[in-house]
Amino acid sequence: MSHDRMNETDDAALEALFAEARMAEADPVPEGLRARLLADAVPPVAKRSWWSRLGEMLADLGGAPGLVGVSTAGLAGVWIGFSGPGLTGDLVSQFWQGAATVSPTVSAWVEDGPLMAADGDLLAYISGEAE
Amino acid sequence: MISSDGPSDDALLEQYAQGDPAAAQMLVDRLSPRVYRLARRLLQDQAEAEDVTQEAMLRLWKIAPQWQSGGAKPSTWLHRVTANLATDRLRRRRGVALDSIDEPDDPSPGVVEGMMASDRKRALDEALALLPERQRVAVVLRHLEGLNNPEIAAAMGIGVEAVESLTARGKRKLAALLSGRREELGFEQ
Repeated sequence: MSHDRMNETDDAALEALFAEARMAEADPVPEGLRARLLADAVPPVAKRSWWSRLGEMLADLGGAPGLVGVSTAGLAGVWIGFSGPGLTGDLVSQFWQGAATVSPTVSAWVEDGPLMAADGDLLAYISGEAE
Repeated sequence: MISSDGPSDDALLEQYAQGDPAAAQMLVDRLSPRVYRLARRLLQDQAEAEDVTQEAMLRLWKIAPQWQSGGAKPSTWLHRVTANLATDRLRRRRGVALDSIDEPDDPSPGVVEGMMASDRKRALDEALALLPERQRVAVVLRHLEGLNNPEIAAAMGIGVEAVESLTARGKRKLAALLSGRREELGFEQ
C-alpha cells in the first residue's frame, strides 16, 4: 500500500466521519422487512400466577355457582357410593317415598290415553287425513 | 439505544415477554433500523442484511422471557448478535483464510466521484464497501458500532491482535480512499 502511515489530518478527518456516522439516525427498514419482523414478534404466552390460573379454571366452570354445583355433585357421588344402593328403583324410593307407585302407570296411560280416543281425530291428523 | 421517550428497551422487552404485542411493535421500530444498518454495512447486500436483521430480532424474541433487566442493553446485545451473524455469513461466503485477501494497491478513483459535500455518510459507506471484508467488519464494529477489540475478536472468531491489525489497515485504506476528496468531505486543511 502506498500510504504506510496516516497523517494527523487524515486521521482527524476519518474520526470526524466516524463520529458523524455514529450519531446519524439509521434509515427506516424496508416496509416488507418491517412487516416480517412484526409477524415474527408474536408475544409468548404470558406467565400466569397459580391464583390467576385457578381463577380462570373457576371461570370455565361457571364461577362460584359452578363450583358449588360441582362440589354438590361430588358429595352426592360420595354419599351414593357409601349408601350402596341396589336397583335404581330402590334409589328413587329413597329420595321420594312412594315414587314407585306413581299413578297412572304407563300401561294404564296407554290404554286410557288420547291416542285411543274413539273418534280417532288425532290419529287422522297425524296421518295427514285431516287438516 | 433510543429510549429517551417512553419506557426503556428493557421495560419493553419485559412487557413483550408478558404478552404485550404493542411492546413488540415499539421494539421493532426502535431497534431494527440500526440492526439493519449494521447488517448492510457489514454484508453490503440488502437481501442478506434483511435476513440477518430478521434472524437477530427472532433471537431477541426468543430470549425475552429469560432477559435479565439491568444487565446488557437489548441494543448492545442485538449488535453483538448481528455482528456474529454477519461475520458467519462472510466466512461462508468467502471460505478463505483471514489474511489471504489481496488488497488493492491504489484506492479506487471512482469511490467518491460525484459526491456531495453534504453526503459524507454515503461516501463513507461507499468507501467501506471497497475494503476487504474482514477489514470492513473490524472497522465498522470498532469505529461505527463502538465495540471494543475483545468483543470484535469474539464476534469474528479471531485474536485481538488480528483485530488491531485489521482495524489499522482498514483505517489506512479508508483514509487513502477518501483523501483525494477531503475538500468535498468538508475536512479541508
